[in-house]
Amino acid sequence: MGSYVIRRLLRTLLVMIGISVVVFAFVRSIPGDPATALLGERATPAAAAALREQLGLNKPWFINFANPANPLDAQFPRYVGQLLQGDLGSGLKSNIPVRDELAARFPATAELSLAALLFALLVGLPAGILAALRRNSGWDNAATTISLVGVSMPVFWLGLLLSYFFAVRLGWLPPSARLGNETILEPITGFYVLDALLRGQPAAAWDAVRHLILPAIALGSIPLAIVARITRSSLLDVLGQDYVRTARAKGLSARSVTLKHALRNAMLPVVTVVGLQAGALLGGAVLTETIFSWPGLGSWVYDAISLRDYPIIQGGVIFAALVVSVVNLLVDLSYAALDPRIQYR
Amino acid sequence: MKKLLLTALLATLPTAGAATLVYGANGDPVSLEPGNITDGISILVQHQIYDTLVAFKDGTTDPEPGLATKWTSNANATQWTFTLRPNVKFHDGTAFNADAVVYNFSRWWDPKHPQGFRNQGRTFEIWGQLLGGYKGDATSVVKNIVKVNNTTVRFDLNKPSSVFPEVIGAGYFGIASPTAIKKDGAKYGTPASKPIGTGPFIFQSWRTGDRVTLAPNRSYWGSKPKVDGLIIRAIKDASQRLNELKAGTIDFTSDLTPDALKSVQADRNLVAVKKPSFNVGFLSLNNRNQYLKNDKVREAISMAINRKAIVDAFWNGLGISNASFLPPVLAWANSKNVPAAYKYDPAAAKRLLAEAGYPNGISLDLWYMPVSRPYFPTPKPIAEAIAADLSAIGIKVNLKTEDWAKYLEDRNKEPGFDMYMIGWTGDYGDPDNFYGAYYGPTASDDINWNPPELQRLLEQGRAAVSRTAKARVYSQLHEITYKANYRLPMVHSQPLAAARTYVKGWVPSPLGSEAFNNVSLVGKR
Repeated sequence: MGSYVIRRLLRTLLVMIGISVVVFAFVRSIPGDPATALLGERATPAAAAALREQLGLNKPWFINFANPANPLDAQFPRYVGQLLQGDLGSGLKSNIPVRDELAARFPATAELSLAALLFALLVGLPAGILAALRRNSGWDNAATTISLVGVSMPVFWLGLLLSYFFAVRLGWLPPSARLGNETILEPITGFYVLDALLRGQPAAAWDAVRHLILPAIALGSIPLAIVARITRSSLLDVLGQDYVRTARAKGLSARSVTLKHALRNAMLPVVTVVGLQAGALLGGAVLTETIFSWPGLGSWVYDAISLRDYPIIQGGVIFAALVVSVVNLLVDLSYAALDPRIQYR
Repeated sequence: MKKLLLTALLATLPTAGAATLVYGANGDPVSLEPGNITDGISILVQHQIYDTLVAFKDGTTDPEPGLATKWTSNANATQWTFTLRPNVKFHDGTAFNADAVVYNFSRWWDPKHPQGFRNQGRTFEIWGQLLGGYKGDATSVVKNIVKVNNTTVRFDLNKPSSVFPEVIGAGYFGIASPTAIKKDGAKYGTPASKPIGTGPFIFQSWRTGDRVTLAPNRSYWGSKPKVDGLIIRAIKDASQRLNELKAGTIDFTSDLTPDALKSVQADRNLVAVKKPSFNVGFLSLNNRNQYLKNDKVREAISMAINRKAIVDAFWNGLGISNASFLPPVLAWANSKNVPAAYKYDPAAAKRLLAEAGYPNGISLDLWYMPVSRPYFPTPKPIAEAIAADLSAIGIKVNLKTEDWAKYLEDRNKEPGFDMYMIGWTGDYGDPDNFYGAYYGPTASDDINWNPPELQRLLEQGRAAVSRTAKARVYSQLHEITYKANYRLPMVHSQPLAAARTYVKGWVPSPLGSEAFNNVSLVGKR
């Protein structure tokens, strides 16, 4: 087990190195460079060239053949040099260090993703279980239909709809942002609900929760639908197995059979899917964060891409890759807890 | 920690008649460091914190005293002397004086300035764009910045410029406290710093992607703020900005889409605010294209487009179509010999095309921008409408687009785009800012047409001191560019803004850089 974890971590490190090379070359291969994007309508070729030079973007990518005295005077060696010192550089336009921005924005995305996942599981699991136990009933049809709608509804559309209906028409919840205008909260961890509780500000915690609800529903809608469907089919599968029949034949109660025997085994594919969804949540967060003015990673990297802000894109992608790798590792490790037949070597 | 808690608690305590003004901006500021920005939101936020030497009267482009109480030039406008406002202090207590002015301007102008931090990513590109270049460049408008005495600063110029006070009055050039810049170093202007100006509001905090929080400056030299706080929220999505306004979580906002007008007007808690137009959306025709080289073809294209119908359809009454590159506030610089509006005559256009030698029509690419801009809120359907008008006279149009960053780059790469949509929003109230951006030496080479005559006129325009002299020069430019038909103005849009009914005293500026010190909330909630 220990050596398995170490091997996985080493592999993650290799993946990170690979990703940093790929993302470096990839963002520079996207046509249209930061200089023209930053200058906007003013981007005359002369102005763009001057800006490119000032930002060091006119240097070669990997090796500077024109400068034999210092061939490493190129963009990638410099970037790696920075990376080794733990420096991800600064946004080209804003001069804000990428590391500071990551630290400020990741908790926002993580809080939203966790809330979305919680919503997906709290609603998706019972819906899937109910649908499997009451197969072909009205419950089942309703759950299947809703999950189909959930998967096909574009997140930004659902987000705007939720916001309009619950905030503008009904006035129950705030339309966007993480906190209300009157709420003042000094962040500690960046998870506002938690921070408010730590600071002993229950009103602020409640405000943060209210602001979380709509974006979490929007972001959680697709995972919810997937969780519900996988739970249903997996549970149906397990309920048809011999050992379930044996358990029933032994005279165990239906409730005990379903919960203790069937459900636990049915959870394995669900966990896999939830793990995969963790990556998808980061992607879905781009739209949700934009719609709900949620100051997270997604909307930040998205803006950086349209501006071709290389250091931000690089830092954001490398960090997101790290998060997904860690989540996948945790998912793999949780298999053993669910299924004793799985061993790590 | 305790101290933080205490300040947080104190800040939540309501004061008598407390009201916080909340503005919904269409994004986050890029930087709060003056001179190092080009985007509208940074300018807007900075304008609350900083003052410029020259200000503009609310809702107009007419200059008025700012941190300078008066300014005079020598006879040929190559030397400008500014008298500074006495007894003004920065928010940190530093005295505002000639040293502070020279310090700020030198940072932008002098590439060797020790606190310019150019080796750490500072570019100050807007200075170069508007003022020809930096210290040491042959093209630099500024030759020298001189402290005459404690309250007087003189700018010596390399060439005459009567617009100089307006240029340095643009929202980019707020005067910051030298003490604060020296203290924060290269961090100045980022969220980790505390930007310090002399303006009506004092910076409190900036959560990137979310909001900037400001407190009123109770000892402001000018009109003191009428609210107890100002929050500028970043709400990128236009529909969501409208939702927030309707829900009452923001008090006023700008940059709504034209189709939101009805919805705003239908809500009795809201007032629609049409901002004065200060932009131009136009179609550029490329002289490198064999058909577009032909004067008659270009004229035919211009005549075939039903501008009025297109503007009515897509701007929802929030746009003006006329035959000038200049927005209506600068109409004094238009020629009397040019008609007020373009002629729409498809039959004549068809005849012209035949006369040009193409009775069976031609085929051209039309590039439309992939992003919504104030001057073209919905570029694709607008391009489709233009294409429909052109096909009516036998011009087959291939609609094309690509990612915005690439679009901006490719339009300047030879051979460039045949026809493409682009536009411009002004920085300061002078025709030079409009014509100079797309004609003359600093313009892009995207249409391969920039005769020396235009360059000469633009120089003359910059040197002209009186408005009459200016009008004479720019009306010539107007006539030449109108006849040439290389850039076809389509619209001057009026960006749609809106406010809750209790918001009083808001006079939106065409320059988009107004300070909110005169805005009050009467009976909010």
